Amino acid sequence: MSTPILQARNVTKSYPGVKALDNVNLTLMPGEIHALLGENGAGKSTLIKYLTGVHQADSGTLLIGGEERNFANPSDSTAAGVGVVHQERNVIREFTVAENIVLSRTPKKCGFIDWKKVNSEAARCLALMDLDIDPGTPISSLSSAQIQLVEIARALYTETKVLLLDEPTASISDAEAAKLFKVIHRLKADGAAILFVSHKLDEVYAHCDTVSVLRDGKTVLSDAALADHPQDEIVNVMVGRSLASLVTPERTVDSTQEPVLELRNVTTTAGHGGISLQVRPGEILGLYGLVGAGRTELAHAILGRERITEGELLVNGHTAKIRSVRDALHEHGIGYVTESRKEEGVFLDQNITRNVAATTWGKLAGPLGVVGAGRERELVAKYIDELSIKVSSQDQLAGQLSGGNQQKVSLAKWLAADPRILIIDEPTIGIDVRTKRSFYELIWGLAEKGLAILLISSDLAEMITLADRIVVMDSFTLAGTVDNTHHYDTMSQDVIRLIHAKALV
Amino acid sequence: MKFKLPATMGSQYLVLIATIVLGAILLGVSSGGNFFGPVSMQTFFQFLAVPILIGLAQMITLAVGQLNLAIGAIGGVAACLAAVMVADWGFNPWLGGLVALVVGAVAGIANGILVVVTKINGFIVTLATMTVLLGVQYALVNTRTISADNWKSVAALGKASWFGLPAIFVIAIIVAVMVGLAFKFTTTGRHLLASGDNEHAATLAGISNDRSLTIAHGASGLIAGFAGFISFTSLPGVNQSVGGDWLLSSFAAPIIGGVSLTGGTVAVFGTVLAAFVVRLVDSARAEFQLAPAWVNLVIGAVILGTVALGRLRETRETAKAGMLRARVANHRINAAAVENTAAEEVKL
Repeated sequence: MSTPILQARNVTKSYPGVKALDNVNLTLMPGEIHALLGENGAGKSTLIKYLTGVHQADSGTLLIGGEERNFANPSDSTAAGVGVVHQERNVIREFTVAENIVLSRTPKKCGFIDWKKVNSEAARCLALMDLDIDPGTPISSLSSAQIQLVEIARALYTETKVLLLDEPTASISDAEAAKLFKVIHRLKADGAAILFVSHKLDEVYAHCDTVSVLRDGKTVLSDAALADHPQDEIVNVMVGRSLASLVTPERTVDSTQEPVLELRNVTTTAGHGGISLQVRPGEILGLYGLVGAGRTELAHAILGRERITEGELLVNGHTAKIRSVRDALHEHGIGYVTESRKEEGVFLDQNITRNVAATTWGKLAGPLGVVGAGRERELVAKYIDELSIKVSSQDQLAGQLSGGNQQKVSLAKWLAADPRILIIDEPTIGIDVRTKRSFYELIWGLAEKGLAILLISSDLAEMITLADRIVVMDSFTLAGTVDNTHHYDTMSQDVIRLIHAKALV
Repeated sequence: MKFKLPATMGSQYLVLIATIVLGAILLGVSSGGNFFGPVSMQTFFQFLAVPILIGLAQMITLAVGQLNLAIGAIGGVAACLAAVMVADWGFNPWLGGLVALVVGAVAGIANGILVVVTKINGFIVTLATMTVLLGVQYALVNTRTISADNWKSVAALGKASWFGLPAIFVIAIIVAVMVGLAFKFTTTGRHLLASGDNEHAATLAGISNDRSLTIAHGASGLIAGFAGFISFTSLPGVNQSVGGDWLLSSFAAPIIGGVSLTGGTVAVFGTVLAAFVVRLVDSARAEFQLAPAWVNLVIGAVILGTVALGRLRETRETAKAGMLRARVANHRINAAAVENTAAEEVKL
């Protein structure tokens, strides 16, 4: 047996409140395409960031070609022949395509940048990916799918022995993905090792040789031959038994009720076209789509952060003109639990009381605009109890809480304002499975009380667990609706088909 | 590699050039042609050197998404220390000039290291070092004005002409060209821009943002020190007011010249052109014998106007992108609808 190109042993990495990686093991052999699978938040991206020196682990060893290495920063890993395409786009928007490709090691002649070589090298990488893009184009003029492809071309710039791809096909079309796989197979034939992260299992089975699965930061399946593990089994391993034992309540939505929120053929300044949807009281409507499909932007349009230029927005059957989030909350009872909890969801340097009560000061305030501390604390105590938020006291700073509890604080803030419609955007990103479950129960409870919920999530399993109906979005339009039958396989196929029907255009 | 300017940039340069030409003509007419006289022109270009240099110094910190409030104080200390060394301590005037540069570089690097180590906002750090340096400047010269007669050999450079232009103006242009080349042809220059544009992406490409910040502040300080040296050569005397009015014009040149306040861009040519505009406003003040406050009023208004215009353009571009996307979306829906009807008709 030959030496592994890359081997990670017992890697552990903790963040405050979450163990992101827990004794993770991974072995990449030369000439193999290795699938790394797991649900959102399982630790895949964290592992990749460790392997490329972006993050350092608390403990564990990394061997490259049998030699122990310690990457202090990304240039160490590039020098060692580890190429990577991260999940999120990382480009210098003011630079050209060529410059972005060679950024990690710009060609020089006599100490000065050799622009001729910059462009020829970039052209070489672009040709490897079969990309018809002029290297001199400013990268900001490309679409996000094109930028994704350029980033893959960039990973091929330096001599790559290991290529780590974090969901490279998430936002590109099938035709573009085919090009990518051609390159991957060529690298494989040259003896490189490829780590491939994807949620598209068909792709994984078509191209990968071996598989590792992460769940809650632990390796639950390590370096196994993919052929030995059929798709159903892998899905079970990914999801774990925990989800199966989650008791899904019997949900019925009274379809005779008038929708409390309705969009009629709406066009927005963010770029949506022809959006029509309805949410009834007590209903959980899922809004699913790939990153960049325009889901969060649609929430912003409902909240008045983007304008609706054509079509109608109706709240309780009446046309509503919403100009700001303030308007949305106080005039129309629409709350929005944001996807970026640290930036938009909580005031990290403020205590729990202030965080939760922030939406209600107007209501709580006495005649002179003075907010009585007693009433504030009383109200907040109720929500801490109801949502079982783990805090040492109401005076604890939100920044000291775990991600899950911060998210609960963010939710409590909106509940305190007593909305009738709640838009919840990616509620469980980076939250461990147990907290996730308590969140699901919370959301069901809210719907039970008659709240209309618009749920945005990239996690299909979560969607299928929670939503009564799933509306699929693609490129700022609606691709279709899938009713929840709780059959994961058929539903996920329906959803994926809806997305791809359009992505192929 | 073609040096093609983006369309908006090109038009911005045209506006600046038109402003300069128009302003110069107006000044020429209102002064009865005196403005274009040899003496007046010589003075105009002579005192253009400092606005160009301090504009460049500020531009370099803006490139990494920082700012440097201490430029005037650095230049002031540099000039005063050189003057004191030569006049009071009897050093060679050229050595004094060299010390001015060293002082600038050291002060700049200190700014950079403070920003990197303390992680405190550059605004606060340079505000603090500015205050400290102003104290040093006062301690050095107190209320006296040290006459340039003490360094006649260096002062000759301030009066010298090369190719019919004041030598110090030519030197400032050379510095500008060098800065431009450094940003275009050295990896360090590109790394500064990368760090200023997207810190995270720069890190992932193995670029040290700490290094970028330190170098940018260091270079900014060095050029501010150089501006101090130019004042040392060209002013009739050096006192505590040297550098006192640099703050606003140091921002005016790059901002009017098209440099983004959020980092990631430089515009050397634009900065030099904008320095011309600043100098014209100053000349107009002298011509019409207005109070210096008028200069600040005009320049301040122009800066606000430029920034507001840039923001407006950005908003409009975002809106345009959204409209385009909506049009594509609606078009696709219509196309699909047409297809569906066609399919149904076929069925019938």
